[in-house]
Amino acid sequence: MGMKETRKTVGTTLGLLAPVVAIATFLFWFYTNNSVGIPENRGVFIAVFVIAIVMAVASFIVGTRWFGGVAAVIGIIPAAFMLFTVSISKQVVAEDAIKVGDTIPYFAALDDQGERFTSDALAGTPVLIKFFRAHW
Amino acid sequence: MLTVSTDYPEVIRQRRGAHRLQATMLSDRDLGVTDAFGLRNQGAHSGPVGEDQAEALPVPTTLLVSADGVVLWMDQSENYQNRSGPEVVLAAMQQYLDVGE
Repeated sequence: MGMKETRKTVGTTLGLLAPVVAIATFLFWFYTNNSVGIPENRGVFIAVFVIAIVMAVASFIVGTRWFGGVAAVIGIIPAAFMLFTVSISKQVVAEDAIKVGDTIPYFAALDDQGERFTSDALAGTPVLIKFFRAHW
Repeated sequence: MLTVSTDYPEVIRQRRGAHRLQATMLSDRDLGVTDAFGLRNQGAHSGPVGEDQAEALPVPTTLLVSADGVVLWMDQSENYQNRSGPEVVLAAMQQYLDVGE
């Protein structure tokens, strides 16, 4: 096996490994997310996604057989997507947002039965209010 | 317990079973409740976009409110990928309301 063939084998291996690393981490992320366990510091996840992208890009630089190239592209997609979601995940509230010690404002909305609910119903009883992003 | 999201009532109704929640679940499609609390996310809109989607999303926040309507405790994520875990919320309830175990 010549030098060129060896390089191609290395490149193809990198290309094939990239999606394995990216997809496994992607799945682990959502598994962790489901149990409300994404750590405050997502550094390890970010590092692994970056590694997957580096492997995919390296496979093209070194040279790869066609299936290694296809795999590399498949690996880049979830890794890049997750890095993108991390990059836009910073949350910013309004300056006059509610804080500890404030009295909650009056509010009204429809409940899941389509019935009108107003905050008057909460008077006299402690309540846990949870704002969340949506069900998807 | 009360939950607030931008989902339509029918979506919340369908999904309620999956979470086995007994809470009152409000639909805040126009963000009226979210804005009353000042909790609209001012950062990048990271939800689905389109005509049928909410124009923004609340910052995930859990508030513990006393019987007279004062916020006793709150927990808010700096990024939307983190949430208050059940143990954090339960600890706060025990501390402030003297309930649960």
